[in-house]
Amino acid sequence: MAPSPSSASNTAATPDLASRIQDRPVGPGRLLTLRTSVDEVVSFRGSFVANPDPAAGDGLRQKLTVSLLDKGTEQRDRFALARVLEDCGATLNLSSDGLFVEMSGQALIDDLPRVMDVAAEMLRTPAFDPEEFAKARAQVAADIQRRMEKTAAQAAAVLSQRLFSEGHPNHSPAPQTLLERLQGLTVEDVRQYHDRHFGATEWRLAMVGDLEHDAVASVVGEAFGGWVSHEAPAVYEMEAAPEEVGRSVVPMPEKSNVDVRLGHALPLRRDHDDYPALYVGNYILGGNFAARLMSTVRDEQGLTYSIRSSLSGVTTQYAGSWQTSVTLSHDTLDEGIAATRDVIRAFVSEGATADELEDKKTTITGSYTVGLATTKRLAQSILTNAERGFDVSYLDRFPEEIEALTLEEVNAAVQRYFDPEALQEALAGTRPETIEA
Amino acid sequence: MATPTTAPPRDIPAAFEYQESSDGIECYRLTENDLRVLLLPQDGAPVVTSMVTYHVGSRNEHTGHTGATHMLEHLMFKGTERYHKRTGTSIFETLQRVGAKVNASTWLDRTNYYEMLPTEHLPLALDIEADRMRGALIDPADVEDERTVILNERDRNQNDPVSRLFDEVWAAAFTAHPYHHPTIGWKSDIESMTPGDLREYYDTFYWPNNATLSLVGEFDRGAVLHNVAEHFGVLDTAPNKIPQVTTEEPEQTGLRRVTVRQEGQLGAVLMGFKSPPALEADSDALDVLARILASGKGSRLYRRCTDQGLTSDVFGINFRLRDPGLFSVFAYLAPEQDHQTVEDALWETIEDVQENGVSQEELDRARSQLRAQIAFDRDGPMRVASQLNEALAAGDWKLYTQYLDRLNDITIEDVQRVAQLYLNDEACTIGRYVPTS
Repeated sequence: MAPSPSSASNTAATPDLASRIQDRPVGPGRLLTLRTSVDEVVSFRGSFVANPDPAAGDGLRQKLTVSLLDKGTEQRDRFALARVLEDCGATLNLSSDGLFVEMSGQALIDDLPRVMDVAAEMLRTPAFDPEEFAKARAQVAADIQRRMEKTAAQAAAVLSQRLFSEGHPNHSPAPQTLLERLQGLTVEDVRQYHDRHFGATEWRLAMVGDLEHDAVASVVGEAFGGWVSHEAPAVYEMEAAPEEVGRSVVPMPEKSNVDVRLGHALPLRRDHDDYPALYVGNYILGGNFAARLMSTVRDEQGLTYSIRSSLSGVTTQYAGSWQTSVTLSHDTLDEGIAATRDVIRAFVSEGATADELEDKKTTITGSYTVGLATTKRLAQSILTNAERGFDVSYLDRFPEEIEALTLEEVNAAVQRYFDPEALQEALAGTRPETIEA
Repeated sequence: MATPTTAPPRDIPAAFEYQESSDGIECYRLTENDLRVLLLPQDGAPVVTSMVTYHVGSRNEHTGHTGATHMLEHLMFKGTERYHKRTGTSIFETLQRVGAKVNASTWLDRTNYYEMLPTEHLPLALDIEADRMRGALIDPADVEDERTVILNERDRNQNDPVSRLFDEVWAAAFTAHPYHHPTIGWKSDIESMTPGDLREYYDTFYWPNNATLSLVGEFDRGAVLHNVAEHFGVLDTAPNKIPQVTTEEPEQTGLRRVTVRQEGQLGAVLMGFKSPPALEADSDALDVLARILASGKGSRLYRRCTDQGLTSDVFGINFRLRDPGLFSVFAYLAPEQDHQTVEDALWETIEDVQENGVSQEELDRARSQLRAQIAFDRDGPMRVASQLNEALAAGDWKLYTQYLDRLNDITIEDVQRVAQLYLNDEACTIGRYVPTS
């Protein structure tokens, strides 16, 4: 007999982060610092709320604006900015993520002051040189074109269009639409977007590693002191607007498999009391390699390499969705979709078992501990927690919350929120004769 | 910095012979069967990464059996007598149940299986790895199921024109040496591989004396070594000598070209130059050259190509392999650019380094970047294990610990010399991806 992993403690280990995190206002924002035992390295992640208007195409404006931040500031040209980072091997990434603009990176602790200076300069005083704008626009176009080649990206986008209106942050416009909009954007649009949407609104920064709390606060205060909030209001749609249940197909020539998404909208928010139960319920269905979908459709039936289900785009502010993604070969397409639907139906009608729940509790709490093993992941967890408006103590409470769930709570949540008959289908790939929209 | 070999740690179980230490990593030999064990204790999260590296990769495969390494890796998850799905103890389910991050990978020179998990569950991981080292079932029904899965995985790779481009360039660059074929194997070989073929491959290469167990993270040395001896000590040494690869690639005497035509949006160019084995000092200089050419916005190719709107992205990659490999320059074309213009710009940049060398400032910057990268790669046990894995594959785990010292020996003359020696058209294979839309 194999030794039973039941030696695993069923009492979730508390990571004990809250007591070690210093959370304080610094300059115009909030700084959360955590010292760990890593040598020399510090990871950081920060964000502010930009409040883009998705219906007005602000998603693209924001992406383009962010892509220009490292292309020169009022003080330094793009090469001088890059050189500061490259001379010390530090990384600094600026990205657009829905309502937020984020910055993240890693540096040796001695290099943190110059890295923060550069980050603040890029966010606050970008130059928006017209020549750089033209290049950045071409780069964004190339990114979009590259995404057009990916079956997964195409399937995800068409599913989002079935579930959310254009004004919803989870709506992904068709790549062709984005390319057309992109051509109409000018450097003046980007400058205006920066003026109206960039600022210290809900500015938060998490910093983790070989650090002294006060020293980091002083570095961050110096770099970001005086940065003011913007006044752009939140104007996005918060609820889903699903189409009638059906199927969308993106035909893509010369692809030897088909990416399939099944999904429907979810009304609950991340801070809803039912969320942990639903999260665990979904995890039992398709959260990892050992979940039902993978063990049935891949392991038993050999129909796919990869199948997952997830709660996607669920935030404290707006509605998200429940999605299952599976890649299938042409000759197993119908069989694969039917098998996937069978597993989902059986799961929703019969529910999870007590063993499955205990298994996944151990899995989720164990993987939570494992996920906190790097400074980068810690910084990300601390920031995400703060963005949701949760207190730092939630980082320690999360495993306890999962452990406390009962089978009845999980199955009640699954039946309340998951509806197999409401699943929309989105397919992207080479269109065999059997696929009909 | 690498440290000289230090006195052996005390209280080592009698089953082990201490061999050496380097930069905190201790190397032991399990005397019963020659299993090599590397330990790197790290404070921090109560997490450990356990990894078994087998010194077998697609380099060891013969014509007709390509893909055996990868196919066997899939079968290694299908179970043993003690860990099997039919008893509810599949390897994935058992490990993921305790929150482990579990996976495996194959590559030209090695195969590795790894788990990052809460330290309290390390004995479980060791038990599973020891059990499947000699107890894999390789059931014919499982082989058929996995064949479908692997063909689907291969299809997905083939969908990506860049993945296909890399395969084509390596196939053209290597005519005799087994780096010629992709690790996933040729389709016809995957289709015709029998369970007997895989059993033979397993029985040839999967033995303790052809493997290294690496443990990185928070653990007690004595307790862990006792555990390793308990689980792995019962295994026999290989009954036959492990076969070695003796084929050497004949010298290339002229430029080779391949073209991939496939549906897509943006073209690409890949230049592969024959490069020395990973352990040779010239490989360090080529790492530095790759940084100077294409790492960051201050790099030569970024300034000459991406910044000038010729490419949307450009990369320099020195594949450090056990046998001579390929130093590669890869570029995505910007929209509206043609392959020849980009190729000319790549050659012009390379020739400039060959003729005029690089500056001390460029070398210092490349070294600073690599120094920071080494510190970042110590952030969390998984990253350390991953780096160690590649050093093991190259033929010496100390390549990981001594890398910084090796870099410090490089001069600007070395960088110019390796550019002249290796980056010439006679030893070059150029691949073009030409989108057909």
